[in-house]
Amino acid sequence: MEQHNRFWRVVLLAAPLGVFGIFVLWPLFSSFYYSLTDWNGFDPNYSFVGFDNFAKIASDRLFLQAAINTAIWMVAAIVLPTTLGLALALLLDSRVLGARVFKSIFYLPICLSAVIVGQIWIWIYQADWGLLNTIITEVTGEKYKYAWLAKPDTALWSVIVAWSWQQTGLAMVIYLAGLTAIPGDLLEVCEIEGATPWQRFRRVVLPLLAPSTVVVVALSVINSLKGFDILYIMTGGGPFNSSDTLAMHMYNESFKKYLMGYGAAISVVLFLIAMAIIGLYFRQLRKVDRIYG
Amino acid sequence: MADLAPQGRFNPWPATIFVILCVLAVLFLLPTVGVLLSSVKTTRDISMGDLWSLPASLYLGNFAEVLGNPAVHRYFLNTVLVTLPATAVSITLGALAGYVFAKLPFRGSNALFLIIVAGMFFPPQVILVPLFRMFNGMGLIDTLWPVIIVHSALGLPICALMMRNFFATVPNALREAAIMEGASEWQVLTRVVLPLSLPALAVLATLQFTWIWNDFLWPLIFTQSDDKRTIMIGIVNLKGQYSVAWGVQGALSLVASLPTLLVFLFFQRFFIKGMTMGAVKG
Repeated sequence: MEQHNRFWRVVLLAAPLGVFGIFVLWPLFSSFYYSLTDWNGFDPNYSFVGFDNFAKIASDRLFLQAAINTAIWMVAAIVLPTTLGLALALLLDSRVLGARVFKSIFYLPICLSAVIVGQIWIWIYQADWGLLNTIITEVTGEKYKYAWLAKPDTALWSVIVAWSWQQTGLAMVIYLAGLTAIPGDLLEVCEIEGATPWQRFRRVVLPLLAPSTVVVVALSVINSLKGFDILYIMTGGGPFNSSDTLAMHMYNESFKKYLMGYGAAISVVLFLIAMAIIGLYFRQLRKVDRIYG
Repeated sequence: MADLAPQGRFNPWPATIFVILCVLAVLFLLPTVGVLLSSVKTTRDISMGDLWSLPASLYLGNFAEVLGNPAVHRYFLNTVLVTLPATAVSITLGALAGYVFAKLPFRGSNALFLIIVAGMFFPPQVILVPLFRMFNGMGLIDTLWPVIIVHSALGLPICALMMRNFFATVPNALREAAIMEGASEWQVLTRVVLPLSLPALAVLATLQFTWIWNDFLWPLIFTQSDDKRTIMIGIVNLKGQYSVAWGVQGALSLVASLPTLLVFLFFQRFFIKGMTMGAVKG
């Protein structure tokens, strides 16, 4: 029997592990290798430069800018979609009229491509007839023309808001799933004991939603690290690299300037950051599991 | 939060919540509505600041322009040629791996499973340079092959995860009985377990289809000539051609999103289930 099992394990795992090994794991490891070279993307030859690329990272002003922007994006990703998603989930959980329709509306952006989302929001931010300026003009009564995406001060935040619009629905469904797991009699007890709605939320609902919060926050952070498509469409990292992120910077160095060795070094840094976050995530998940089982 | 008022008295909460939700829903829909509106308006109307009002009459010229453009046909065909095989292959690989992890575990299989699942979380930039070099060496740059292959490989984490979790709910006795009857492991998988797993397959099909259809990064890296581009890259390319033809751009966005919008409308249940399952169990 054991022999039979071993035979079938090999047969069934050969294809998936082969594909995953060759096209995911192997490239992952060779990223480390290329990060020590000066490969330019088309020349078959390259030479070893040791840790030069990493030394360059340390003195690369644009890298620093991109790292700061990525950090800003991550914090915003934790705050914006998470709180908004939680608020929507709480509102929808009260079995309000038309809850299903509302859910679909808030969820719809998730199935749109980042390219489309970027396109939509470019129009909202458009200087002459964009929705945002139109509203500001209506409210203030003065013709308002501000190119949100073309100004270094607002470019990054404008993209983050657009991105959050898309991500909120995901946070909402995860919180909704978490809310259904809270036993109804517990909430009844709160009411009998005379807890105010705020106390009920703060002391009972929110702690019981901790597992969902861990998932939502982790997903937001990880997705913000991946944030590339929408940025590419909306600003391309500009103006003057003011909205660059690490993922964007890596792409520019590798595929615009053809500094693939340097790009690989940036991707190694990106990998280490992702690794740290994932490690933290799994640890938190286990902790939450232990407490709430 | 709604049932706070004591019995018998008027309870203002449901109505308040309903109104709040309506306002939020309108705000949330505005961006999408903008695209819809733009697609049925002339470029002149839009640039004169008339984008956000309801149109007096439907102008279908934008759609005619988009649907009559041979480049759009090409982009669409390429996207189908990438999305369908990559969706099928990634789910197949996920089912194979998921079956072993659920029904034939071995020492270290949990660790292996975790490594595969972790693949879901990494920014794709991490493997960009080596993959480019690899496919360049194979002479596959500027074909659809690298896009199909990479999507098949990167789909494995979510597919293996979801299939393993689903297979774990299929009773072991079923498999043992079939093997007693002389069925091979392959027959157990294809004749017994898979037919029971249609819900999980539906979830994965909707998720994978949507993600691959919407993808931008991989075709951007691996294809160069215009007749190899997928629709999402095509939209960006055509932006030059229709630079201020906002209405045409709107129609183009809508046409490009139509397949995923349809999938979303008809399979929303699966879609949401997959998103929460993948996220929570991950």
